[in-house]
Amino acid sequence: MMWSEKHRPQKISDMVGNEEARNSFVDWLVKWKKGAKPILLVGPPGIGKTTLAWITAKEFGYDIVGLNASDVRNKTNIEDILTPLLGNTTLLGKSLIFIDEVDGIHGRSDFGGVEALLKILKEPTIPIILAANSDQSDKMKAIKKTTKTIYLKPVPPRLLRLYLEKVLRDEGEKLSPGSIIKVITESRGDIRSMLNLTQAQVTGFDAPTDKSFETLDVEPAVNAFFKAKSKEEARIVLYSLRIDPREKINAFYSSIITSSLPSKDLAKMLDVLSEADVLYGKIMRTQEWRLLRYLDNILLKLHGENLQVQFSQYNLPWPLLNKIRWDGKVIKSLASVLAKKFHVSQSAIATFYFPYILFCMKNKKLALEINPEYNEILEKEMALLK
Amino acid sequence: MPVSNMMWVEKYRPLKIADLVNQKEVVGSLTSLLKNVTEIPHLLFSGSAGVGKTTLAVCIAREILGEGWKDYTLELNASDERGINMVRERVKKFSKFAGLDTDIPFKIIILDEADEMTADAQTALRRIIEDTSKHCRFILIANNISKIIEPIQSRCAVFKFTRISEKEVIAHLKEIAKKEKIKADEDGLKAIFDYSEGDMRHAINIMQAAASLGSITEESVKGAAGLTKTKDVDEVLKLSLAGKIVDARNKMIELIKVYGMSESDFLKYINEAIYRSKVENLVEISEAIAKYDYRILSGANPEIQLSALLAELSKFGK
Ligand SMILES: Nc1ncnc2c1ncn2[C@@H]1O[C@H](COP(=O)(O)OP(=O)(O)OP(=O)(O)O)[C@@H](O)[C@H]1O
Ligand SMILES: Nc1ncnc2c1ncn2[C@@H]1O[C@H](COP(=O)(O)OP(=O)(O)O)[C@@H](O)[C@H]1O
Ligand SMILES: [Mg+2]
Ligand SMILES: [Mg+2]
Repeated sequence: MMWSEKHRPQKISDMVGNEEARNSFVDWLVKWKKGAKPILLVGPPGIGKTTLAWITAKEFGYDIVGLNASDVRNKTNIEDILTPLLGNTTLLGKSLIFIDEVDGIHGRSDFGGVEALLKILKEPTIPIILAANSDQSDKMKAIKKTTKTIYLKPVPPRLLRLYLEKVLRDEGEKLSPGSIIKVITESRGDIRSMLNLTQAQVTGFDAPTDKSFETLDVEPAVNAFFKAKSKEEARIVLYSLRIDPREKINAFYSSIITSSLPSKDLAKMLDVLSEADVLYGKIMRTQEWRLLRYLDNILLKLHGENLQVQFSQYNLPWPLLNKIRWDGKVIKSLASVLAKKFHVSQSAIATFYFPYILFCMKNKKLALEINPEYNEILEKEMALLK
Repeated sequence: MPVSNMMWVEKYRPLKIADLVNQKEVVGSLTSLLKNVTEIPHLLFSGSAGVGKTTLAVCIAREILGEGWKDYTLELNASDERGINMVRERVKKFSKFAGLDTDIPFKIIILDEADEMTADAQTALRRIIEDTSKHCRFILIANNISKIIEPIQSRCAVFKFTRISEKEVIAHLKEIAKKEKIKADEDGLKAIFDYSEGDMRHAINIMQAAASLGSITEESVKGAAGLTKTKDVDEVLKLSLAGKIVDARNKMIELIKVYGMSESDFLKYINEAIYRSKVENLVEISEAIAKYDYRILSGANPEIQLSALLAELSKFGK
């Protein structure tokens, strides 16, 4: 299990850092009465905003109804889920609303979400907690007007160190003093990141020397890898790129695909990536994490003379990315409707039915009587037909 | 008009076993099996696309279960959901719930394109088939029976479907043309058969598309054939062989991620495209495809694997 989950505090007193902020948050909840302003917790990642909200609610006997960035937070959803709680409060016991990652409400796919939320924030009949990494956007400024805001800061190194030593004791693991200092500096006051770094350090990878341990960001790391003068140098760069292995493979994949290499080199490198990807698949299947140490050995084969590879985050041209994101979604939903009617797979709909349907429609010999939400895409695809 | 009747393939899908064109042997032995319904074994249909496998499965369900057949039949396409969760959640749940208070003998589970199921899923299925045989019958359908694990094959009576002959395809097309009041000349019908190669679904689709241009002639058939997205797969192959790996990859990703062609279908069609294109090094190319197919099957990321395949194909261009 990930240490950052395993060691999630269970009581407010287990938490470290931001003591004042924690106290004023608890104070707010204890003194809360109808009409009191909602609270907004603002602070950088991994310092306990989500944790604080959950355990405080629990300690004071509230049921949490929460929405976070993984939920759709458009107007309808917010109203459907939250409004009932605001109505007859006595019947429902003691509930509170927790909107996590509120700065992540998406303009387009969460359409109308902010407005619906603002309406609720203005007339709170139960406690409402919001959490965000930043309060700088326009939408956050509007939200902030309706709330009391509490700022949380990065946790200072002294506290990080105490906490890290406790976790290491609990885990029965050791780290050299030099590594402890590096982990703490690297994590920049983010406890989650500190725990992740430490776990990576004590398991999975076996560090060649303590000295070479230094974390690099993806972009400079990928660029430095391809500029490295020797295999050894490339190996150190690879080693210092301590991110999720899937992301590591993907970072190289995107960069290589977009670097206009001669097809012979491209083929060779994709073959290496394919091998790395197979290893990763095997690790996921068997959960044999110790195999992870071979991943870098495979990726090292990507290093070669004079290869002009530049980091790139995206591996598809924008128009195609957009087409996948918007049209692809609608087409797939249409395909799943048609697949049931025609007793075939969605893939068969895509390959053998969709083009014929469009062709007949274009020749005005067929009118699909189907949910009008599909009209736009049908028109668009008909126009693309040769 | 309901959506399903707008496409002729669906409108003219046979409703009774006896209406099936061709497949005399299969139909013959199934008809005699149906005389004693309670003794029917699980069935496994194999054969190429568009020859009546799914149609026959649905006909059987209708004939055994009568009017309300849909309430007691679960139809799943493994190509859409191929993993073990599909078996655990959908198949298991359906096979469990009793509710057999009427006079129907058992529930029916049609698992279409079962050869797309992962090995894990098939293994999970094998147990369920056994445990539920008191009140469930399975009809499994596969293009490629060798991808169905032995233990499952051994639990089913296997029926092999043949491709439909030219004469029968054309006769069937004529019948539809008559009902739709469409003119169709012999050359046009012959052309449809040539394009569709015994795949009745494809034949009917071509005919409907050609008919949207007026009547069925060699000319209109030519205008309508080749609309399928397998043409785009041909294009991907061509781009790869020409060393345009990035373009090939963009096109492939569009097919898969925008239109929803499955990765395994993509591999199937590119394989067919290679055979049709008569390239040299056929053996090596097939080996390359098999290598990546295997890697995807063993849990690797399909996008990376397929991109690597396209890059490898570029070596075989002239
Ligand atoms: N103050 C803390 N004391 C102890 N552990 C903490 C603290 N803050 C964070 N952690 C560790 O980090 C993990 C993540 O914390 P949490 O989910 O509360 O972060 P967050 O502030 O909500 O971050 P984000 O802004 O990314 O959502 C916890 O499970 C815990 O392991
Ligand atoms: N043997 C057949 N007789 C009549 N029509 C057929 C036959 N085989 C296929 N068809 C036509 O093709 C369509 C698809 O057939 P289907 O049974 O779904 O094929 P598959 O064998 O791929 O499952 C049917 O709706 C029907 O119109
Ligand atoms: Mg959080
Ligand atoms: Mg079928």
